[in-house]
Amino acid sequence: MDGMRLVMGNEAVALGALAAGCDFYAGYPITPASEILEGMARLLPPRGGVFLQMEDELGALAAVIGAAWGGARAMTATSGPGFSLMQEHIGYAAITQTPCVVVDVQRGGPSTGLPTLPAQGDAMQARWGTHGDRPAIVLTAASVRGAYEATIQAFTLAEAHRQPVVLLLDAVVAHMREPVDLPPPPAPSQRRPVRSPEPPFGEHPFTPFGAGRPIVVTGLSHDDEGLPRTGSARASERMLRATEARMAADPALAGLDRYRLDDAQVAIVSYGVTARVARAAIDTLRQAGLPVGGLELTVLWPFPEREVADLAARVDAILVPELNLGQMVLPVRAAVAGRCPVTSLGRADGTLFQPDEVAEAVRALPAGTAMGRDQRHA
Amino acid sequence: MRKDRLGVRLSGRGGQGVMLAGAIFATAAMYDGRHVVETPTYGPEARLGATKVEIVLADEEIAFPAVDRADLLLCLSRDAYAKFGRAVAPGALIIVDETAVPLTADLPAGLVRLPLRATARDLGAEMVTNVVALGAICRLSEAVTASSLTAAVAEAVQGKGDLRELNARALAAGMRLGAPAA
Repeated sequence: MDGMRLVMGNEAVALGALAAGCDFYAGYPITPASEILEGMARLLPPRGGVFLQMEDELGALAAVIGAAWGGARAMTATSGPGFSLMQEHIGYAAITQTPCVVVDVQRGGPSTGLPTLPAQGDAMQARWGTHGDRPAIVLTAASVRGAYEATIQAFTLAEAHRQPVVLLLDAVVAHMREPVDLPPPPAPSQRRPVRSPEPPFGEHPFTPFGAGRPIVVTGLSHDDEGLPRTGSARASERMLRATEARMAADPALAGLDRYRLDDAQVAIVSYGVTARVARAAIDTLRQAGLPVGGLELTVLWPFPEREVADLAARVDAILVPELNLGQMVLPVRAAVAGRCPVTSLGRADGTLFQPDEVAEAVRALPAGTAMGRDQRHA
Repeated sequence: MRKDRLGVRLSGRGGQGVMLAGAIFATAAMYDGRHVVETPTYGPEARLGATKVEIVLADEEIAFPAVDRADLLLCLSRDAYAKFGRAVAPGALIIVDETAVPLTADLPAGLVRLPLRATARDLGAEMVTNVVALGAICRLSEAVTASSLTAAVAEAVQGKGDLRELNARALAAGMRLGAPAA
């Protein structure tokens, strides 16, 4: 227990960013994400990094994109309302293939809504919020250690795929403290400009300004040299398709945890803090002899279609509890494609599910009722 | 008070140091070697409003981080008692400041009314009410050990000069309040 320390989820995000070599943060404070900004304000400058409080969230992500091109490993963090303001620049980062990390600590909405209470209402905004279309990487976490590791992974994936990566947390995971033993962060590592004959965009690794060659960064559809190609060249589509294919082939993007799932007849598919409620519900149901298990998403997008389809072939029913009116249940249903019934359990009143509530919802499923009957006869 | 899973809820109004008390209490539980998760909840107000922090102490890994019916409840304000006073488990220990609950005949069994704020004021600073309360909780519930709590309080005020001594006195005073009457 020597290295154990009680760490808040948001603090773990800041420490994870440092562990990943982050040396630039720009943001605007907002509950329940402010502790990330406060942590970076405290931690970055003494390490030679840059902390900027911007005028708003539009400016925050703009600064992050510029910093990335200047060689920084850059991130920002916000909550739903600020995340909406960042959507324009998420698209800009996507088409300019700029690696950066955006953390959205979700709270009850829309608008100011329930500003201090947890929600999972941005699962779809994180995927589809920007205009146009693009492949997206969205990670999530259910614990303090999970938030730390997901932040490191977000930087790795941003670099590997040259895309903005979103880390979607909720107010509970962001504010909870759990004992963790985290290694001291390494020294900051700038991206070095590399003299390379390779073009600056497309399939080529990200290289910031400063290698002595001119680089054009534009939001227009462009070719691998960065030159605008808005005619018939379909340059941006080629880039987006290639990025999508690379994401599909990346084993790091098959993020799933399985909880007591091997012999399960009913599965609960969940993510974030709701996955912890599901675990408690599963333990209760197991004690009553009901074979229930959990599939916990740690990568929301790209959605793990194959894993969910495989699961649907093995179980009699799937329950999807979420702190929203029913969002991730939609890709679950699409992947299940009728192989088994999928039931949504939504809640958007700023209150966590109680484990009993989720357990009751499982018992109320037609398969849950049958499962109970089977057990009684067994 | 030792259970496989102990649900603790500390409550009061914004500005009374409830959140910090939660962090200190959870740190003490961690020093005791227990699994612990601490989750603060507060309203949009910078001050006042009913705030709470929930701490789950367990012998095994903790999945569900929140507390439904508390085994141990602290209320430092009238609003907090009105809001959380009834969400307790059977046999719960309820510790309230004397100003939070009027002395009437129908107080629930297991409720202990203490002059937490008055004790802090006597020490010269009402802001240490939270630490006085932690001392009383420690002595009445034995949910965390006195040595771990003392270490956790010292850690919270590390490098804060005069506050170290003040908080040490507040903790000792709280423990005396919680001690069984001789």
